[in-house]
Amino acid sequence: MRSRQFGSLMTAAGIAGVVLWSFVTTDVELSRMVSAGPRIADFLGRMFPPDTTVMNEIIKGSAETLRIAILGTLGAVVLSVPIGLLASETMVPPACYRVVRTLLAFVRAIPLILVAMLMVGAVGLGPLPGIIAIAFHATGMLAKFYAEAIDGVSRPPLAALESAGAGPLARLRHAIWPQMAPVVARDTIFRFELNLRESLILGIVGAGGIGFYIQTYVRSFQYDKAASVTIAVIVMVVAIEALNVVLRRRFS
Amino acid sequence: MNLAAQIDDASFTHSGATTPALDHVSLDIARGEIIALLGPSGAGKTTLLSLLDGRLRGWLGRVSVFGTPLDPDKAPPRDLRPDTGFVFQEFALVERSTVLRNVLNGRLGRMSALRAVLGSHTANDLRVAQDALADCGIDDLAHRRVDSLSGGQRQRVAIARCLAQEPRLILADEPVSNLDPTRAAEILTLLTEAARARGATVAFSSHQPELARRFAQRIIGMRGGRIAFDVPTQELTDTATAELYRDAAQMAPIGLRAVP
Repeated sequence: MRSRQFGSLMTAAGIAGVVLWSFVTTDVELSRMVSAGPRIADFLGRMFPPDTTVMNEIIKGSAETLRIAILGTLGAVVLSVPIGLLASETMVPPACYRVVRTLLAFVRAIPLILVAMLMVGAVGLGPLPGIIAIAFHATGMLAKFYAEAIDGVSRPPLAALESAGAGPLARLRHAIWPQMAPVVARDTIFRFELNLRESLILGIVGAGGIGFYIQTYVRSFQYDKAASVTIAVIVMVVAIEALNVVLRRRFS
Repeated sequence: MNLAAQIDDASFTHSGATTPALDHVSLDIARGEIIALLGPSGAGKTTLLSLLDGRLRGWLGRVSVFGTPLDPDKAPPRDLRPDTGFVFQEFALVERSTVLRNVLNGRLGRMSALRAVLGSHTANDLRVAQDALADCGIDDLAHRRVDSLSGGQRQRVAIARCLAQEPRLILADEPVSNLDPTRAAEILTLLTEAARARGATVAFSSHQPELARRFAQRIIGMRGGRIAFDVPTQELTDTATAELYRDAAQMAPIGLRAVP
């Protein structure tokens, strides 16, 4: 009992220590912190009314974001099908799927924006680094989902096809695929929605899409234009959400 | 060689089990025979049928099917697989596929590996599947999805898939345990008639002695992984059957049942 009390005391002291350390070492004066509220209010005030003359840029940027999300998702699907097979307990021995699953966990752990920055460095500005980054990042999740879809199917039909003399690939095609298809459709749509949402900000690091305009207008103090683009992004996110609800109903 | 299958001193214990599912079983099955396996749950009927189907690994003894010896540690040769057809107790159908698709799945072992993966069936495959559907009385259900069917209809699809395989030995694991007595008799009638018409050998397991008497020429009683009796149907006595199911509740603790 005593040791438990001591433990919670140490935990509380630890948390207090970390918070204090953050306050003391962060180079923010108290006066700036106090004035942050009014400054944000002032900033928001300068965003209004939003400048609607940037409609062309919004349409151009949105279309590019959509293209990045579609092509990035396509790339992820193409990569995830073979990698998903190699990550499934049903299709490959433990030595294979354990290694592949560990690699996928690492891929998932790298933030998209970091991948995008690295890709901009590697292949230059524009939508291409965005597409590559989305394909890479989304594969970490999608290949895992596909593997789980394979492993989640009912087993007796597999035994039946094995008994009939069907090889592993024929079993995959005729017993596993019909069972996993709706799960794959659902997971792919889910991932497409995430890709679309995440690709909205890729332009901020120069990887193409509507985010480019937000960054440009904020840096050049054209807050009313930035406001228009921000509203466009919010509208798109809501539209994606609505589309997702419809699709999910269709595929569940 | 007019034997469909030959089992010589076969034993098998499921991983994690303490008592063997098959305990020194020896058995010859002649071509064209219709055999019933009787016995309480956990007697080893499913295990024996799975052994003949080549889906068990790590058994002891000697087993050959149509003269080809089985390897205890390896899957049977690919060309032997379609020769033994298995009717699963829980049907083992692909629920989201159509009846015809499921029946055509029975053809996969008779096709080249590439054609099987692509699902490119020949006219002959389709004809065999149609015949199987007709023999099972479900030609009108061909394009229905399996998940929309009743239990009795599913059992017919499972049998049609097995027939589409053109097996020479049909192994049916409690093919009628989920059905009412009228349906059960119907299913066993069509199974045995289709097998006779194709010259196939049949071994089916059952809990019901009256069905075994009615449809089999030879009845094998199993208990605790051993063969208790092996007699022509007319020689089966009520005493022998009663003895088989004595203390049945104690013989088959829940969870001991072999899972295919």
